[in-house]
Amino acid sequence: MRILTARLTGFRNLADGDYEFSPGVNLLIGSNGQGKTNLLEALNFAAFGRSHRGARSEELIRFTDQHLHVSLAVDQASGVRQDHEFGLDREGGRRFRIDGQLVTRRADLVGRLATVFFRPESVELVRDGPEARRRFADQSLASLDSGYLAALMAYQRALRQKGRLLADVRRGARREADAARELAAWNADLAVHAVPIGRRRGEWSSLLAPYADAIYQDLAGSPAPLEFQWRPRLQAFAPARLASATDEELAADILAEFDYIRPMELRRGRPLAGLQFDDFLVRLGERDLRVFGSQGETRTAAISLVLAQSDVVFRQRRVRPVLFLDDIFSELDRERARRLQERSARNHQVFIATARADDVAGWEPDPARRWLVEDGRLTALP
Amino acid sequence: MHPGAPGGGRQASGGEFQSPALERLVRSLQQLPGLGRKSATRIALHLLANHEDAAQLTTAVDDARRQVTRCGRCGAITESDPCAICTNPGRDASLLCVVASPVDILPFEKAAFFRGRYFVLGRLLSPLDGVRAEDLPFDRLRARIDEDEVREVILALDTSVEGETTALYVQRLLAGRAIHLSRLATGIPVGGALAYTDEATLQRAFQHRTGVEGG
Repeated sequence: MRILTARLTGFRNLADGDYEFSPGVNLLIGSNGQGKTNLLEALNFAAFGRSHRGARSEELIRFTDQHLHVSLAVDQASGVRQDHEFGLDREGGRRFRIDGQLVTRRADLVGRLATVFFRPESVELVRDGPEARRRFADQSLASLDSGYLAALMAYQRALRQKGRLLADVRRGARREADAARELAAWNADLAVHAVPIGRRRGEWSSLLAPYADAIYQDLAGSPAPLEFQWRPRLQAFAPARLASATDEELAADILAEFDYIRPMELRRGRPLAGLQFDDFLVRLGERDLRVFGSQGETRTAAISLVLAQSDVVFRQRRVRPVLFLDDIFSELDRERARRLQERSARNHQVFIATARADDVAGWEPDPARRWLVEDGRLTALP
Repeated sequence: MHPGAPGGGRQASGGEFQSPALERLVRSLQQLPGLGRKSATRIALHLLANHEDAAQLTTAVDDARRQVTRCGRCGAITESDPCAICTNPGRDASLLCVVASPVDILPFEKAAFFRGRYFVLGRLLSPLDGVRAEDLPFDRLRARIDEDEVREVILALDTSVEGETTALYVQRLLAGRAIHLSRLATGIPVGGALAYTDEATLQRAFQHRTGVEGG
């Protein structure tokens, strides 16, 4: 999958204009604050219908403008061209079109433009708390499967409802006896939505793990393998049980766990069991990198996990996603950076943003285009 | 004010009419669901220019407010209490369709295949919106089931999280009774093309697929 051209109007500080990208490597070089990340954000927005850094519409629209419009010509793997367009205005209006057809639901955008995004913060994926790894898993799974996104949104909504109910009981606004059956209903709904989410987290992590290990070995070389394993908090998702039980049986197991913990939940006034406590183990051989990894190891592992998404997308959809690598080299030594460059340029269109031209000096991929990003303007360098 | 700050674009339409009466009319129209300042202004000017329309509207609102009530048995919007559906002897009292809002009765009645009766909950459980089980007419529902010797309860609630949880609640509420409890199926719309069905709906339809003869 390749983004051939982009037409930008009104997007943050980026100059309005038409840009033609290399189908191979696009190097965006410029000091901080010049617009490199903004360009990646504009290109990636069409993939998910939202900003990769969670910005709201009014932040994306240039402050002197009332609306923004971005259109991309995308070459699908087969050589078929697809036009992706989106427009946002200050009144909250949003329009997405693919080949001129209006796309009204965000879930329907999933998979139409496949991308993998490495943000500067991604480098802490292994050292950060479980929440960062859950977010990584959720975003990755949502980009593969709109059913996952639907189940996750339902689960999170039900979880907020249950949380409010428990808090109401704790502060005395509801009698426990009155709330008991309601709580059971919310638990039953949560259990039903938890099953497909749990199954997919398990499948996805075991699919991703070997690819991440291969990348890790390629970048750093290690006698011990890089392992990545889903660590669910719910007993129902223990591997043996997960493999043999039906969806209905799993939901019943989860409900039993919720029932068991209910007295404590009522005392504390918040949910204490569920998918929101999952983690993913990252290990090099026997060593847990989350706790005992060196800076170099955890960062290389984080990069490997993020890039491995590309292999999973290819495995499932037979397309190579567009890679967006924002400031990925600055934390790596020269040797690892060089291997990463070679690797990312293979089979992919890649957009690499860097503030230090040194990081990519002497690298001559082909095809490639170098861009100078200055004050929101992109200038193609010879 | 910053030129690009949100709301900056609305300044042109933010001015008020010189007539306080017209301004009051526009504002009260603006209170109505789905109407912004622009539409409210258009309607207000239309009513001023067309006295007959304005008079009709006033009478219609007065009449509706005086005559429309809710059926004490099922909660439907009606002018007679109990409503025509609840008193129609041709309808099967042992079939009870539970819906969230009185508006949800309309598509069933339009399609005219359902010969049972209805029960309107009025709202769905939602602690975040302060809607508790005590706020829903579950006592009346149970009484209704007993009085009418209901055989089957059909839950026709939204597929939202709140709709599903309310259905699960009713399921628990009625557990142990000798009645058949069912929920509407979810899936591919009739006449809909499979290729354009969204993935979540498709998955739901797949999970709830039905066996066919010879299979």
